Amino acid sequence: MAEAHVVQQGVTPAAVGWEPRIIAFLCYWCSYTGADAAGTARLKYPPNVDIIRVMCSGRIDPELITTAFAHGADGVMVCGCHIGDCHYISGNHKTMARMPLLKRTLVDLGIEPDRFVHEWVSAAEGEKFARLVREVTERVRRLGPLGWPQRMRERGVGCGMSLEPWGA
Amino acid sequence: MSEKTDKAGGNGKLKIGMYWAASCGGCDISLLEIGPHILELIEVADVVLWPCAADFKYQDVVNYPDQFIDVCFFNGGVRNSEQEEIARLLRRKSKTLIAYGACATDGGIPALANTKTVEGIFAASYHDCPSLDNPAHVEPQPITQSEYGELEIPRFYPQVLRLSDVVEVDYQIPGCPPQAERVWEAILALVGGQLPARNSAVKVACFDKSVCDECPREKRKVKIKEFKRPHEAMAEAEWCLLEQGFICMGPATRSGCGALCVKANLPCRGCYGPSGEVQDQGAAMIGALGSILDASTEERAREMIDHIVDPVGTFYRFTMASSDLKGRR
Amino acid sequence: MVETPGSCSGSGNERENGARIGVFICHCGGNISDVVDVKRVADEIGKLPGVVFSTTQMFVCSDPGQGLIEQKIKELGLNRVIVAACSPTLHQLTFRRTVARAGLNQFLFEHVNVREQVSWVTEDAEAATQKATRLIRAAVDRVKHLTPLDKRRIPIHPAALVIGGGIAGLVTARDLAQRGMKVTLVEKQPFLGGRVAQLHTLFPTGEDARDALKRVIEEVVSHELVNVITSAQILDSEGVVGDFRTRIRIEPRGANSQLRQRASAVAACPEQTINEFDYGLSQRKAIYMAYPGCYPPIPAIDWNVCTKCGKCVWAVGGRGINLAEQPREMVLHSGIIVLATGFDPYEPLYGEYGYGIFPRVITLQQLIRLLDPLGPTGGRLPRNDGEPTRIAFIHCVGARQIEGVNQRQPDGRVKDYCARTCCTGALHAALEIRRRHADVMITDFYQDIRTYGRGHEAYYEQASEAGILFVRYDPRHPPRVEGNPKGDSPLLVRTSDLLTGGLDVEMPADLVVLATGVVPHDISELVGMYHCAVGSDSFLLEVHPKLRPVELAVAGVFLAGSCQGPMDVTEACAAASAAASKAAALIAQAQVEMDPFIARVDEELCTGCQTCLTVCAYDAITRDETRGIAVVSEARCTGCGTCAATCPSNAIQQFGFNDAQVLAEVKALLQGAALG
Repeated sequence: MAEAHVVQQGVTPAAVGWEPRIIAFLCYWCSYTGADAAGTARLKYPPNVDIIRVMCSGRIDPELITTAFAHGADGVMVCGCHIGDCHYISGNHKTMARMPLLKRTLVDLGIEPDRFVHEWVSAAEGEKFARLVREVTERVRRLGPLGWPQRMRERGVGCGMSLEPWGA
Repeated sequence: MSEKTDKAGGNGKLKIGMYWAASCGGCDISLLEIGPHILELIEVADVVLWPCAADFKYQDVVNYPDQFIDVCFFNGGVRNSEQEEIARLLRRKSKTLIAYGACATDGGIPALANTKTVEGIFAASYHDCPSLDNPAHVEPQPITQSEYGELEIPRFYPQVLRLSDVVEVDYQIPGCPPQAERVWEAILALVGGQLPARNSAVKVACFDKSVCDECPREKRKVKIKEFKRPHEAMAEAEWCLLEQGFICMGPATRSGCGALCVKANLPCRGCYGPSGEVQDQGAAMIGALGSILDASTEERAREMIDHIVDPVGTFYRFTMASSDLKGRR
Repeated sequence: MVETPGSCSGSGNERENGARIGVFICHCGGNISDVVDVKRVADEIGKLPGVVFSTTQMFVCSDPGQGLIEQKIKELGLNRVIVAACSPTLHQLTFRRTVARAGLNQFLFEHVNVREQVSWVTEDAEAATQKATRLIRAAVDRVKHLTPLDKRRIPIHPAALVIGGGIAGLVTARDLAQRGMKVTLVEKQPFLGGRVAQLHTLFPTGEDARDALKRVIEEVVSHELVNVITSAQILDSEGVVGDFRTRIRIEPRGANSQLRQRASAVAACPEQTINEFDYGLSQRKAIYMAYPGCYPPIPAIDWNVCTKCGKCVWAVGGRGINLAEQPREMVLHSGIIVLATGFDPYEPLYGEYGYGIFPRVITLQQLIRLLDPLGPTGGRLPRNDGEPTRIAFIHCVGARQIEGVNQRQPDGRVKDYCARTCCTGALHAALEIRRRHADVMITDFYQDIRTYGRGHEAYYEQASEAGILFVRYDPRHPPRVEGNPKGDSPLLVRTSDLLTGGLDVEMPADLVVLATGVVPHDISELVGMYHCAVGSDSFLLEVHPKLRPVELAVAGVFLAGSCQGPMDVTEACAAASAAASKAAALIAQAQVEMDPFIARVDEELCTGCQTCLTVCAYDAITRDETRGIAVVSEARCTGCGTCAATCPSNAIQQFGFNDAQVLAEVKALLQGAALG
């Protein structure tokens, strides 16, 4: 089903050797330290998730996420402290409301819900982080590449269509 | 309106053009909204192209020397091949090309079609619409053989594009439509050579701040308890509509319109596009809105958010084509 | 364009043309290089525009490693430095200092984590190498957008305010004064001493609690640098670290040091009320002294109970009592604040183990009052007809509760944390009873015995040797306390004993003592005032439990004692000394240095939509009415970036994490993804 959809949109299916590219925004005090805890415990997880650290999940602007998808991310993760444990008291409360709102919008734009994951990870939850990375990578892999920049190029964004016939 | 001037040099007056692409015609009318200033305008300018108002042919434009048109206002988005062709033509033939109105600057309402597929659009327009009578399921074709020979019509593009997606633009005038007062100020600046340096990112005939700056309502700095649609409740006068729960795009929308809608008790819909240097108006609004919900648990946040009927249509109503994602997958 | 807060040195915004980036990739002795091909990564990175030096080192954090960085900065005129090594939580500060020593602004340094987040977690070496390369390439693009920043320096008013006059507050005040700091100690009650005053003896030394307390109080009140204010209520607090202005209201005491015939004054008073010092086991007068030997040694009047009849005044000839005394307000100016607001014992819910239904079900705190020779019963355990012969202790009341098993608290949750001190406390009390009454049968109903402290295990051994019975119950099936219709003892404790394979036990009891947990004393107003982070267990949340255990995220506010979590007197004193030490260090510096990652509002872009004003948890954003824009207080901002993400005009940027910097990382990480 994913294949047919992709062909219809004129994007090539996953190239051989395609690997999901996932960006994760982690808050420094809890989730980043939790990711470190996974490392200290030598837990293994796929290399598809690149971590960007911010001080608080409250810093995570929806525009960072739309930019990530628009530039070719196949998945995005946002992690922060559990509610009640925010180092900055209530930064994660804002994240807690922004993310579902953004997710609804992204889903309406055709980005499958499994591609955008929002989870709380505490500094002690190395296991949870490793498991999360494995699960998200697998789900995104099954969904295939999102390939947003390519799609947009094919639709003439930024360069016009230069008179390509439609329906092809 | 004015005489056709098809000679270079002419009578020393500015040569202006207005073209409409994928547009509703409102922008053309908005130029007329400058009212009696029209008379001042024709003192200093001649119209050399205005399909909505006067009979110029494309061939006339083709015959103009390059850069013949001093200022060309281009409203409407690029939805088909004709619009792209003319956009490129007008770029060649104009010294200054201005994207005029929300459709040309940000895609406008037509760009919401970017959340649909071509097949879906054609199905809705030519097959499924209840008021259609199309038993033969005829669809427009680029080329049709007819008794008059081969007929060609513009090709329908899979995406509504902004003018700046197709050609280099000198200035942008946002708004659906741009408000007359601001337009006249821009025309004066233009005529007086006082526009800022050319930069397609520069928006003129507007202000840098957001609509909140022009809005007369007061903020009480409270969080939103629940969302309401305009027909679901009476808005309290004088109090910020957003704080009351009506989704007002004001904080994320450029000012210049005089907060007309809000003054008429309707929440701003965001037609002037993003303010300041923001690229993605919807993301900016989502970030702001999510921050001021009065929800202490995820369940409550989701409950409130579920009440928003159409997030894409609400947050990207006029700016789908200038958003980061630009449309539906 | 982002500017620097405060003064700055060094080059301004360097873009690609001007960037001279040095990259130092650590082998970490094999921890990284065993998996990541660091040499290959260094070569790849070396080709990127702007990178003028790219190398690997065995241990970048070592002296030679740091030395190389300093050398290359000077030799090659590097204006950006990247170290790819372990987690920044370990050595980010180290390398910032290295860079600063070489004359480069320390915030033009970027630390990339390629150990905990790459080499230690990735199986495939090739994939790890590519990931490391990607992350460093992202850092290369990010550093091009960095600007020199300086730590914020806030001058500190050389005085401390300690809130809470219990043992922790007293120790903190003493330690601060002994270091030469001016201290104001404020206590809400009219008397100092807190919960320790309500104890009888302390474990494990067995010393008299009030004697120990008295020693500390003596040291505190006699010190010239300490000002003690009792009956003080905190009204509000303004300001930031270094410059706190706290307004207090001092309730009128009603009596003063002129009063000599204190006993007569108290005896003359006709009004009585429940004595909270004895946890409701006795009554006291409207004019009262909390306990023998209390400080100040001046009676106080409880205005909620006093009818101003004047009998006490008459009894002492009018000297020393002023029934018309008015409250006073004053503003305390301090550079730092220490919260030592303590705990309250858990109050069992009505019916919990029979509490409130049976008068013979009491809390451990109440038992201790009964055991106190200076307590309400002179040290006797009262019973209608003689001394009790069977006593049951139930552990973990209001602690280690399980959702679905124990009744929920009014806030809708259960108290799932261990209260730490009650096991030792219960055994200490049980042994005391045994010592006084050899014939009393004591049974301990427990989940686990947590006599964890130094010298505490001895209580457990001694208790067993003294014949105290231990019945271990399943926390999912807590004991039930019921009335005993037959038999001499009025109560019955039923449970099944895990130690004997689930044997049903029915123990008659004349007294049931509930070893109750603890909750933080309610300071919700202070939490709001000082923007304290509070954990989900409602105790104050420290910055880091191990590395920064007595500090709050709000600069200049410290924690001392049980407001932070259950702890015994030993631990509370240690915590208090730690807080004093930290606070003194801060004051001694005369200024506090804070990270520069604060938010700033661009005045040109700000519309004044006021959306940001509601989102700052620290009230650091205010509205400038004249200009109609938002302003971020540099001193109050803690650098979370929430306002930056909120602003719908992108008018607020966070230094060090502004949009340009973070987006540069995002785009660099996804380079090549678009073609995949």
